[in-house]
Amino acid sequence: MTQRVAESERGARRIRAPRFLMALPAWIWFVCFFTLPVLWIVYYSFGYKPDIFHPIATDKLSLATYREAFSSTFLHVFSQTLQISILGTFLCFLIGFPFAYWLATRVSARWRGVLLGLVIVPFFVNFLVRTIGWLILLSPNGPVSSLLQRWGLRSEPLHLLQTRGAVQLGVVYNYLALMILPLFVALDRLDPAMREASKDLGASRWKTFRQVTLPLAAPGIVAGLLLVFIPLTGDYITALVLGGAKGNMAGVMVASQFTVAQNWALGAAQAVILIALIMATVGVFALIALVFRSIARASRKITLPVATEGAA
Amino acid sequence: MSSLSLRRPRRQRDFVGLVLRIWGIAVYAFLFTPILVIVVYSFNNGRSMLIWSGLGLDGYRTGTTDPTILNAVKTSIVAASGTAIIATTLGTFAGIALARRKGKWTVLFMALVFLILVTPEIVDAIALLIWYVRLGGPFGPNAPIPGVSYGMLRLWVGHSLFATAVVTLIVRARLQGLDESLEEAAADLYAPPARRFRQITLPLMFPAVLAGALLAFSFSLDDTIISSFVSVAGASPWPVYVFSAVRNALRPQVASVSTLLLMLTLFAIGCVAFVLRRGGQSGEEVAKTMTVGG
Repeated sequence: MTQRVAESERGARRIRAPRFLMALPAWIWFVCFFTLPVLWIVYYSFGYKPDIFHPIATDKLSLATYREAFSSTFLHVFSQTLQISILGTFLCFLIGFPFAYWLATRVSARWRGVLLGLVIVPFFVNFLVRTIGWLILLSPNGPVSSLLQRWGLRSEPLHLLQTRGAVQLGVVYNYLALMILPLFVALDRLDPAMREASKDLGASRWKTFRQVTLPLAAPGIVAGLLLVFIPLTGDYITALVLGGAKGNMAGVMVASQFTVAQNWALGAAQAVILIALIMATVGVFALIALVFRSIARASRKITLPVATEGAA
Repeated sequence: MSSLSLRRPRRQRDFVGLVLRIWGIAVYAFLFTPILVIVVYSFNNGRSMLIWSGLGLDGYRTGTTDPTILNAVKTSIVAASGTAIIATTLGTFAGIALARRKGKWTVLFMALVFLILVTPEIVDAIALLIWYVRLGGPFGPNAPIPGVSYGMLRLWVGHSLFATAVVTLIVRARLQGLDESLEEAAADLYAPPARRFRQITLPLMFPAVLAGALLAFSFSLDDTIISSFVSVAGASPWPVYVFSAVRNALRPQVASVSTLLLMLTLFAIGCVAFVLRRGGQSGEEVAKTMTVGG
């Protein structure tokens, strides 16, 4: 036995030796075009805008841009962004979880592949074009507005565009698939025998869901929440197309420093704050989740053995 | 299994099942409504896309002949192909290394991969814009690599970062789920490394590589934010054209060309699904490979 292990290890070493080098091209690529540019942004955020002809100067480094970025107008945009993204992530979860649960547990295996494929078909249409679809739907002369008027449910055209509600709807739509897919994977991997066992042991449906399905699906839930929350917070297209001034988000603000105002230092500082905001929010929610989990674990009276030796 | 389900309270089960099914249908309706609107409005014969003014094929006629649109779509496809090649090559090798040669470096590398995945695209976009301006050389107009326009190079590099990270994760996940003993057996039978890779490792991870390439391609095709910052006039991809149309004048051509592109994409996906199916995967496995990477 020992001899065989040693042999296979030797064999493994023979194969493994050069493989560390295989990751080297990707390393170099990432460092050259991700790490260094992002560090450069941090460096630029300490600069300033010298005059209207130059976007950036770094001969004097200071925190002035950060003071400016924390002024009341920008702070309002950051807080609005956070509200939209937290609510949007939550809504995606509320819509996506029952859906993924249905797809993973209630749909027959024959149809599951087709239905899963259907979920991503809308996302083969460009992000921007999808958002334009909503622009048409919500516009004052659009189909929804004219139908409501024809049926006599409204006397004047709908004014849904250029509002925060429109942005909220748009982001939930645009990021829903990123929630559904990881939830589906987690729920699909969950062995139905686990739920059956829980029922056989006398647990109610709700209790089974709460104590078996939900904890086992937790990695997928966390993945889904992160996958939606992070890009949603940095989103700028949806807000630009559907939001106007009332649905302003931090991404739009950062972009406008580069496209309109040509103030790279301020834009860089706002980008750094945006990243910090995302990390801080994820950190806070992770902490809350950990506290809840330890409370839930402590309150559970019976702990079942996780896995037997034979199964492993 | 069937005897167990008989013991469940029948009516309650049906009720929950019914609610879930209605929910499922409602979600599909939500997902497809804007797409249907785009398809319907692609037959709008007006000057403005947002105002319906009669059925017709004007959008398709002008959309498929407008040189700016054709150039934008061509740029998009070239950019997406290049991105897929770069990302699949770099990501596959990195994924193999991560799955088969673990060490202290893997933690650092995975941290970098996750950082790339979690950085908002707008930050990548402005960082790359500044970086390209700073680097110059092949990324600037003055010293281009022969045969490659600097605008295209900017798009390839910009799109390949996120795509490479995704391919890396997919390939790593696939290889971690596979036993290494097959490769060891090939080594014991004196297969040289190159042959081992070609005949054992590559076929085993082929679905993951294909799924990764597909995701990289569609990510590049879909990307608007990075493209709108780094692309240059003459080499701006389709989403950037649409973006400027949104800000200036939105014409029905945008919907028509989008509908055609959707048809093309579905056709391409169908071909990949066909290849995977012939490779012995079931319909469900094919769908999983292509949506969630296996």
